[in-house]
Amino acid sequence: MSDAPEAPETGPYVSKIDRRTALAWIGVVGAATAVGAGVVVYGPLKGGEKVTRGYGTDPKLTKPEKAPWSRIMIPEQLQTAALLADYILPANATAPSASSLGVPDFIDEWVSAPYPDQVRDRPVIMNGLNAMGAKLNKASPADRATALAALSASTDPNTKKFWKKFRHLVIGAYYTTDAGFKDIGYIGNVPRTSDPGPSAEVKAALDAQFKKLGL
Amino acid sequence: MATDNYDAIIVGSGAGGGMSAYHLTKSGLKVLLLEAGRNYDPRVETPMFNTNAEAPLRGVSTPDKPFGFYDATVDGGWQVPNEPYTVAEGSEPFIWWRPRMLGGRTNHWGRIALRFGPLDFKPYSRDGLGYDWPITYDDVAPWYDKTEKLIGVSGAAPARGLLNTPDSPAGCLMEAAPPRAFELFYERAFRKMGVPVIPMHGAVVTGQMEGRNTCLFATPCGRGCAIGANFQSTTVLLPPAMATGNLTIRTDALVYQVDMDKGGKAKGVSFVDRKTGEHHSVTAKSVILAAGSGETARILLNTKTSAFPNGLCNTHGMVGRYLMDSVGTGVTGQFPALEGLPPTNDDGQGTQHTYIPWWGYEKQKELGFARGYHIEIGGGRHMPSMGMAGLLGGDESLVGDALRGALRQKFGSTIGFDGRGEMIPNDDCYCEIDPVVKDKWGIPVLKFHWKWGDHETNQAAHAVKTFLQVIDILGGKPEGHVETDGKKAISKGGEMIHEIGTARMGHNDKDSVVDQYGRSWAVPNLFIMDGATMVSSPDKNPTLSILALAWRSADNMATLAKQGAL
Repeated sequence: MSDAPEAPETGPYVSKIDRRTALAWIGVVGAATAVGAGVVVYGPLKGGEKVTRGYGTDPKLTKPEKAPWSRIMIPEQLQTAALLADYILPANATAPSASSLGVPDFIDEWVSAPYPDQVRDRPVIMNGLNAMGAKLNKASPADRATALAALSASTDPNTKKFWKKFRHLVIGAYYTTDAGFKDIGYIGNVPRTSDPGPSAEVKAALDAQFKKLGL
Repeated sequence: MATDNYDAIIVGSGAGGGMSAYHLTKSGLKVLLLEAGRNYDPRVETPMFNTNAEAPLRGVSTPDKPFGFYDATVDGGWQVPNEPYTVAEGSEPFIWWRPRMLGGRTNHWGRIALRFGPLDFKPYSRDGLGYDWPITYDDVAPWYDKTEKLIGVSGAAPARGLLNTPDSPAGCLMEAAPPRAFELFYERAFRKMGVPVIPMHGAVVTGQMEGRNTCLFATPCGRGCAIGANFQSTTVLLPPAMATGNLTIRTDALVYQVDMDKGGKAKGVSFVDRKTGEHHSVTAKSVILAAGSGETARILLNTKTSAFPNGLCNTHGMVGRYLMDSVGTGVTGQFPALEGLPPTNDDGQGTQHTYIPWWGYEKQKELGFARGYHIEIGGGRHMPSMGMAGLLGGDESLVGDALRGALRQKFGSTIGFDGRGEMIPNDDCYCEIDPVVKDKWGIPVLKFHWKWGDHETNQAAHAVKTFLQVIDILGGKPEGHVETDGKKAISKGGEMIHEIGTARMGHNDKDSVVDQYGRSWAVPNLFIMDGATMVSSPDKNPTLSILALAWRSADNMATLAKQGAL
C-alpha cells in the first residue's frame, strides 16, 4: 500500500449552504428511516412541505435562485461525500480541497434534483455513499487509506459505477468554480476591448508541434 | 388595440418578423406585431459573465432548459409547455425547437451568417435535383449587403473567389477575429488536404459601428447579449422599429388563423392570449406570417374557409410540403499536440473565427452525393463545465495532484468537428394538421413526416470520414464511439433548428405558395416573410438569408402599400 495517497484530513463536514436550506435539510434528516444496512428511506420533510419541482422553463438567469427542490442527503452521507471528494481533490499548496468548496452540498443538490439524468444517478450515488460510509467514517486512518485506494481498482460493478459517477461529479463541481478555473488555467470570462489572438509564446509552442507532426 | 387602423399585422418577431417590422415601420406603415411568447429584454435578462457554479446543477441541460441553464431560450426547447406536436407513425424522428419569447430564436442562435451562393438558388439547373428558386443570387445580393451592414457581421477578408461561397463587397463586413490556437492548429490539416480555411462570417460587432457596442470577446452568445453586440431581433431590429412610433407589439399572442373577408382578402388574424386563454381578433389592411416555418404552415392549414377547405393557400396541396433542415454530423477529437499549451484566453467572438466552406462542388458525382457541407469547428479553453472528467479519456484512477495535473495538461486539447450540409427537398418530408391532437387551447397541432434521402446520408458518411482523416493528420484520436454509417451518424430531422420550406416561393400558384416577394398567390394582401418561403436548404445556415429575403419582401410590400395595391 506504499502507493496509496495519505488519507485526507477531512474534519467534520460543515455544509456550505444557507440557513434556510439547512433548516429544510434538518427536516429531511428527521424523516429518514433506516430500514437495513445501507438503505435509508426518505420521508416527507418535517415542518415543511417537500419540494420536488424543477426550476421551470423560465428561471431567472442573471441572478439564479437556489435550486428549489428539497435536499435528501443526511449528515453521514454528506460526511462520506466530503471524505471521498477530498480523496479525489485534496487541498495542496495552491488549490483548496473539494469539501471546502462545498462539493458535497453540490452532490446533494444533484442527487436530490427531479430531472431524469439526476434521478438516474440518485441510487448509484446514495447507495455508494451508504456503502462507503460504513467503511470510512469510523475507520482508522490506515484502514481508511486502504479502503480509498481500493476504490478505483474495485471489480464490484456497483462500486465501479459509483466511483466513476461520483468522481465525474466531483471533478465537474470543482472545476466550475473560480478556484477550479485558477487550478486548470482558465483565464477567460473577462471583458476585453479586442481579441489579440494567441500570444507569441503559444504560437511558438504550436510551431514546435507542427514540426513534430510534419505539418 | 382593435380600434387602431393598422396597415399590417406581423405574426412573429424573430428574424423574418423583426426585419419586416423594421422596414415597414421605417417606411411609415402602422404595424401590429404579434408574438406568441412573453416580452423579453436582453439588456436586463442576459446572464453575461455568470459562471456555471452560480447556476442550479452547474448549468447542465435539463428538460426545463435543454441547451443548458443559461441558454437564452424562454419557455421552450424541443417541447413547449401546453403546445405539443406529433410525428407520424413510421416516420424517421423529427424534433422541433421553439421558444416563447420576443425575438424568437434570434436570441440564442449560433450567429453564423453565411450568404447562400449562386448555385444555391439554382440547384435543379445544376444537377437536376430539387427545385430552382424563382430568383438568382444577384437578385438577393444587394439585400445581403444591406443586411450585413445593418446587423453587423464580422469576417472581412480579401476576396477569395471560391465557388458558390460569395465574398461580401468591401464595406459590408467588419474585421475578422484572429484565429485561436486550435484554429491555427486544424488549419494545417486542411492545408495538407488542399482545402481552404477562411474567416467565419459571424453576426457579431467586432469593430466600431455607429449605434452599436463592440463585442467584449467573452461570455457565450447563446445566452444573448446585454450590450447588443451580436444580432438579436430584440436588440437590433425591434428598438429602432419602436422608435418610429409606428409599431405596436403584443406578446403572449398565439395566432392560430388568418381571418378572411367575403371578397377573398385577409382582414386580420385571431389569437389566443397564452396567459388568460381569451380569444381575440385584430384587423389590418394586410397580414404577414413570419412565425417560423412550422407555425406559419400551421396557421395556414388551420385557416379553413369555403374557398379553402384544406387550409388557406393550400388549393394545390403545397402548404407544409418540402420541409427541410440541415444535415448535421459531428466528431470530437483529442490532440496530444494541444496538451500543455500556455494558458490563453480562447473566449473569442462567440462564434467560430474560421470555418471550412464546402470544397467538393466539382466532384459530387464521384463522391456519391449531390450536395455539400461546410465544417464548423469548436475548441479551445472554454469555461469549464460539468463534463470536465471527459478530458481524462476514460482514466478512472487518478486522484490528487496527479489528477489536477492531467486535467491541466489536457484542458483545451479537444476539438469538435461539425458538418452542416444541404438537404434536397423530398416528398416524404412535410407537416400537416394532426386530426386528433390539439393544444391546451383546442387548436389542432402539427404532425411531422420525415425521411432523409440517400444524398443526405451519404453526405453524412463522407463528413464523418473527413473528420476522422483530419483528426488523424493532426495526430489525435476520436473521442467515444464514432458512427461511420451515414444513416446512423446523421442528425434527426429538425435537430439543426434550420427547418425551412412549407410555403415555398415559385413561379405560379401550382408550384408554390408565394411569389418571389413572399406575396401569397391565393390572397393578395397575405405575405410570408420567414424561412417557410425557401425553395432549397443550402449548407449555409439560413438566418442571414431569412433576414435578407424578409427585407427584400418588406420593401416590395411597402411599395405596394404606397401604390394603394393592398
